Amino acid sequence: MNRSRLITMLIVLGIAAFVLSLLIGPARIGPVASIEALLAGGNEAAMIIMREIRLPRALLAVLIGFSLGVAGAALQGLLRNPLAEPGIIGISASASLGAVLLFYTGLAGVSLLALPAGALTGAALCVLVLLVISAAQASTITLILAGVALASLAGALTSLVLNLSPNPYASYEIIFWLLGSLKDRTMDHVWLVIPLMALGWAALWASSRTLDALSLGEEGASGLGANIPRARVLVVCGVALCVGAATAVSGAIGFIGLIVPHLVRPLTNRLPSQLLLPAGLGGAALLTIADIVARTIIPERELNVGVVTALIGAPFFLWLVIRSRRELF
Amino acid sequence: MQLSARNVSVSLSGRPVLNGVDLGLEPGEVTGLLGPNGAGKSTLMRALAGQLVYQGHVEIDGRAIAGMSELERAKIIAWLPQQRVLSWPISVQAVVELGRLPWHGWRRAMSQADRDKCAAAMQLLDVTGLAGRPATELSGGEQARVLMARAVAQDTPVLVADEPASGLDPAHQISMMTALRQLAGQGRTVFVSLHDLSLAARWCDRLVLMKDGAIAADGSPDKVMTDTTLRDVYGISARIGRDDCGLWLAPLGLTEGGMGNG
Amino acid sequence: MKQFGKRVWTGTLAAAGLLVSTGSVLSGPSVASLNVCTDQLVMLLAEPGQLKSVSNLSRDPTLSSLHEKARQYPVNKGLAEEILVVKPDLVVTGTFSLHNTTGLLSRLGFEVEEFEYSQSVETIAADIRRMGRLLEQPARAEVMASRFERDLAELEPLACSRKPVALFYGARGVALGKGTLAHSAVQAAGFTNMAAERGYEGVAAFPLELLVQDPPDLIILPRPTPGAPALADEILSHPVLRKLNATVTGSFSRPASLNCGGPFTMQAIHELRALAPSLLPCRKAPGS
Repeated sequence: MNRSRLITMLIVLGIAAFVLSLLIGPARIGPVASIEALLAGGNEAAMIIMREIRLPRALLAVLIGFSLGVAGAALQGLLRNPLAEPGIIGISASASLGAVLLFYTGLAGVSLLALPAGALTGAALCVLVLLVISAAQASTITLILAGVALASLAGALTSLVLNLSPNPYASYEIIFWLLGSLKDRTMDHVWLVIPLMALGWAALWASSRTLDALSLGEEGASGLGANIPRARVLVVCGVALCVGAATAVSGAIGFIGLIVPHLVRPLTNRLPSQLLLPAGLGGAALLTIADIVARTIIPERELNVGVVTALIGAPFFLWLVIRSRRELF
Repeated sequence: MQLSARNVSVSLSGRPVLNGVDLGLEPGEVTGLLGPNGAGKSTLMRALAGQLVYQGHVEIDGRAIAGMSELERAKIIAWLPQQRVLSWPISVQAVVELGRLPWHGWRRAMSQADRDKCAAAMQLLDVTGLAGRPATELSGGEQARVLMARAVAQDTPVLVADEPASGLDPAHQISMMTALRQLAGQGRTVFVSLHDLSLAARWCDRLVLMKDGAIAADGSPDKVMTDTTLRDVYGISARIGRDDCGLWLAPLGLTEGGMGNG
Repeated sequence: MKQFGKRVWTGTLAAAGLLVSTGSVLSGPSVASLNVCTDQLVMLLAEPGQLKSVSNLSRDPTLSSLHEKARQYPVNKGLAEEILVVKPDLVVTGTFSLHNTTGLLSRLGFEVEEFEYSQSVETIAADIRRMGRLLEQPARAEVMASRFERDLAELEPLACSRKPVALFYGARGVALGKGTLAHSAVQAAGFTNMAAERGYEGVAAFPLELLVQDPPDLIILPRPTPGAPALADEILSHPVLRKLNATVTGSFSRPASLNCGGPFTMQAIHELRALAPSLLPCRKAPGS
């Protein structure tokens, strides 16, 4: 498919999902009134609802979905493994652990920055460990298994830290950290993640040409003048920023970085650099839709959005694994 | 351009692989690198292409490649490794276009000149008809030609290729060597390692024979392919003949305690 | 002379022996409490020396109104072994406590009394009396219970322009609806519980949007645990709550006063009533 046609389609899909997300909520405000309240003001309550509750939620769905999609595509390009994804290989869980360690123990004071600082560090450490493992052993299976082990370890340690907290609510918050949620997020969260994610997107974009060269393997890429260590640093930082910022604000949301690149790849020329933007846009749309489903599928209750993405993503992953016993793409 | 190695030594995992190798490669000729397994051929090629750490000097027209940035070096030397790796089922066209990366780098779009070079490379290796096919679905021979086309599209004065013809059937071997000769004819420095002795003898202007990390013989095929060198380096005996196209070699058997009749 | 001294000495020994054999100078059974709510009642009603052990939660200020008083008693974690060591005459606990433990204790021959978790202000007086009976402190219990009932009866409807609306909100968007002690208390105080009115029961997720669309007059938030941050505290600083101009928000009642039923619950009710004039134009209600 023509690249500009694909991108246009994905943007349209994303905008549609975004608008739909703005119009759905427990307070029944009609579509026209909603948009009016959002843009022009008027009814005080409607304005607060639209600007302080629905808008940050929809924006975060788009931003986080985009970041997870791009991070997944870049990871797959660097590790040359189509099953690499921040959730599965433990990066989101490690980000959660980092955030939880720094925040609940009060190590970072009660600063707003404790959560993202911890999350970024946790994510970066996990990517580094995975890079070391994948350098020693290039097999797909090893990488995925190592990632799963890291995810389990991070999850267990997160639960431990939360249970040790003297705060009575802490142990219930494990669900948020492991399954993610966009509920009641504020515009403060949006302003917090935007600079971090923008830096992450820039780092990943900067590595994209080298990721293309890596299609020919490390030797081939090196012969094309690619600076592979620099690309590794850029991807580690980019993924840490994207996944860390996202997790700090919404908990661990998985599978976006797996599903979207896979769906979108056949529609591109499959070069990693060409995949980044479509994967991001697709991720934004997918997460926004998943969040809408999380809010509407059970009347009067709200699911964790990570449950919805897992319900779609885990069977998808299984199918990929089964299919990849024959060929890997 | 002239690619020269002076006193190049390489140790891998503590083991010395190359010992003080001196070699000069000239433009306009195809130089073949031969030698038994483990002689250090790939290591020598990697050192010349600037792909690993070495002691000694490797220079392009007198300029040390160690001082160059990777990108600069990629515009001068095209390196085709032995391992044929294709991580994604990208199209043949896309593979060849990767060869232009060092030239257009950050600029996303390729220029018409870039596109022309790709087309010329694909034509030289006769893969134009495969342009839209995913490269991972091709046969071994076709893949080898596509990857060579990528190296050719890089449009460099020097081409260093590690066993580009291995695993190819005779027809594909011949077309590969023909293409290399054409490139040399354009004034490029072409350095390839080969296993097939006849192929090397007939298609190369100059042969370099390696054994145990050092150069055992270096010169025209007539000078290098002798019973003595074959026995000393390979441990085989062969019938060597000549026709109007060049030398031919038919390996007969092993020498020194081997099972063949010498 | 010597005979007289011997008799006095024997008499004293006998009396002492009698005292020792009856076990204590106490007038009631020794008791151990395994549940934070039963902890409160035993601490209020037991004589010194009668209370052998309270649950470790009784020292938690967010759960126990009498957390200061609890410091003087040994604590237990609700384990049967701890009770075996203490050997109380009576074990009191809640019906929602660790059933394994209470079953085991019964089988081992301990007398175990279970108290329902207070869901309503109406049952508090009865619970006080029952605890008094069990502890053999009926007089004290009666005083406490009758005072509670009298205070409850004297709660007149607030004389405000309309009935004020309150909502208990906290911990990631959860409200206290019908069937909780907080609901019963806030109703007794003369408020309408917004969550109950919308049909929410128990501890239920209450959408923030509904809060904005129809803001209550009072939102009661939990207090953060000092030194132990959690995401639950985020709700306290949510921008939406700051934007509700007509609503007063804060952590008014002493923490834990509405967690268990007891005299302190009445204190909390009075504190809530006192807030009414700051929310709506009210005439000062007589006697409140």
